[in-house]
Amino acid sequence: MTKRGTRAFFVVSTLLSGLLFLGLTIDSHRKIPALTNAAAIDASVIAGKDVWHRNNCINCHTLLGEGAYYAPDLTQITTQRGAGYLREFLKDPSRFYSEERDRRLMPTLKLSDGDITALIAFLGWVSRIDTQGWPPRPILVRGSSVPGANVGGPPATAASSDPGELGRVLFNSSPPACGACHSIAPNVNIVGPSLSGIAATAASRVRGADYHGKAKDGPGYIRESILDPNAHVLAGPTFAAEGRSLMPGDYAQTLKPEQVDQIVAYLLTLK
Amino acid sequence: MRYSSQRVAYPYFAVAMLLFGLQVAFGLLAAAKYLGPDPLLPVLPFDVVKVIHTNLLLVWVLTGFMGAAYYVVPEESRAELHSVRLAYVQLGLWTAMGVTAVVGYVFRWTAGNKLLEQPFPLKIVIVVVMLMFLYNLGMTIRAGGRLTTTEGVLVAGLACTALLYLPSLLEFDNYTLAIFYRWWTVHLWVEGVWEMIQGGILAYLLIRLSGVDREVLEKWLYVIVGLTFISGILGTAHHYYWIGVPRYWLPLGGLFSALEPLSFLAMAMYAYYAMRRSGLAHPNRMAMHWTIGSAIFSALGAGILGLAHTWPAVNKWTHGTLITSMHGHMAFFGAYVMIVLGMITYALPGLTGRSEDSRETAAGFWSFWLQMAGMFGMTMAFATAGITQTYLERILGIGYLETQLKLQVHFLMLVATGALFVAGVALFLWDFFFLAGRPVAAVEAERLASARPTA
Repeated sequence: MTKRGTRAFFVVSTLLSGLLFLGLTIDSHRKIPALTNAAAIDASVIAGKDVWHRNNCINCHTLLGEGAYYAPDLTQITTQRGAGYLREFLKDPSRFYSEERDRRLMPTLKLSDGDITALIAFLGWVSRIDTQGWPPRPILVRGSSVPGANVGGPPATAASSDPGELGRVLFNSSPPACGACHSIAPNVNIVGPSLSGIAATAASRVRGADYHGKAKDGPGYIRESILDPNAHVLAGPTFAAEGRSLMPGDYAQTLKPEQVDQIVAYLLTLK
Repeated sequence: MRYSSQRVAYPYFAVAMLLFGLQVAFGLLAAAKYLGPDPLLPVLPFDVVKVIHTNLLLVWVLTGFMGAAYYVVPEESRAELHSVRLAYVQLGLWTAMGVTAVVGYVFRWTAGNKLLEQPFPLKIVIVVVMLMFLYNLGMTIRAGGRLTTTEGVLVAGLACTALLYLPSLLEFDNYTLAIFYRWWTVHLWVEGVWEMIQGGILAYLLIRLSGVDREVLEKWLYVIVGLTFISGILGTAHHYYWIGVPRYWLPLGGLFSALEPLSFLAMAMYAYYAMRRSGLAHPNRMAMHWTIGSAIFSALGAGILGLAHTWPAVNKWTHGTLITSMHGHMAFFGAYVMIVLGMITYALPGLTGRSEDSRETAAGFWSFWLQMAGMFGMTMAFATAGITQTYLERILGIGYLETQLKLQVHFLMLVATGALFVAGVALFLWDFFFLAGRPVAAVEAERLASARPTA
């Protein structure tokens, strides 16, 4: 090949690639609004995006898998944690995580209430973007989809005396070994149903027509399910048999009342 | 050195080296934070250290490219630089921008957009500096009335770098659109036009170091750049897998990024061919090490390790893990750091008024091998950490924090090999600033004239 020939190869291939790329870009630009639910981008979401940028979040966390790898991915965080929890967490991360135990800690950002509300709105919008099924399995901040997978991990210790944090440790301790049957990852049913989003599920279930228990609200429903699993039985191949729940029915005796309070407080953080 | 104004490259290289030293110091600090706990958390948290580490890299590599262009263009166009004064003003403005950015990051003045964190006013300064730079090069080429393929590829790469920075000035309310166009700058820089710059500098160095016929090397340079763009432009698709864009980017990304190693492989073969023809006869053996090293290391880091996680079915699991750092570190080092260090090593004897035939120092060779060993070790540390993270966190579904605790041994290896690398960089700086001698104040006209080609 002559120099003239190789130059022609360079010019033609670059032009063709560039044209194809531009064409696809125009098409994508037109389709992105629908794929990202752009109609839901309101002033709050935009303000939240500014909070995200202003605080340099992307240089520790990933969002849509892009960013730095020093802190967890936040694409689906609002589907895993309730707004109440996220608000308390953002005010003071050291209430829930400890540098000694986790070896790293998010600094307290001194965000205003308005900033926090906007940031949660932004992350909520991100969680509904059509990501072609990514991530294929939920990326958890801590815990595990399958109990027992984390072999050889350090013993669970609480970062603070926050009831929810104490409840989280209890949930993963044995006894009562709640985590042996219940995953906190969405759609992972080990023996009992996944408790992902249980705070919201409980609140709606208690109002359902097929509910005949005594609880009046979500927290009441969760407490009742722990102490009396047969008050409301869910259908599922490993959940129940002959209308009776397969969950142990003796937690009223084996757990202290404050321990039940702590587990309820923890489960309420799972939106 | 054949033209007196080529001397302006020295201060560019000096600034680049100072920032390089600072960059790796921050890198080592960031690595140590992975081990934790972090006593600096209240004053210098990870995000600040990381943003400084990556931004210093971009700034110093670009400073090195500018210095390289000011060295290469007068020689190739056979004319003195249009304005040495403008080049100094440009360097002053550019350095002030870089320092302001770094200090600003410490005080949390940031645009918070990965790799393009420069606040808006600084982005404008960058655009102005690039315009001054391109004007100066353009006028020099015009005065010389001669444009070789080598410098043409180099200058076109630099011009496209400036052009592709412009999308970073845009703001979008839709986060997906924002990152969609962010990749026009970031990806098309490092996997597109910067490869042109690398190819241009590589061709220049091979012509000078090997003495192989210019026509042959320039002919193949077109093939390399053509391959770069066929794979690189549509290869942008591998950043468009999971961010809220249409599905067709998945197969496109898989196909075209699988072709990306070709251009790097071609560069490695190119260097190997040139060296075989010349029999490694050039006396500046240190420059030869960096030049061939760049061609080989970029083929491994950018080509092979990029390919390792670019296929959609693989990337689905590895996306956003330390696997990306594995690829990123070796790719950037091989392709851009090493080619700039090669250019500096080649130009240094001339710039400091010595014979171009005799510069070899023990510190220089130790620096090369320590950096090689350190970067290879760091890449392995990131790879083992990334593979383990992918398996535990993404496949088994163990929480992020628990998984990170299990990676401690790999982070220890990262810090240890990172320290080796920093030692290598320190030796390079020592060699550059203390052993190579001062830059020449003026060059006798006869000596320069005798070095010029008569044709």
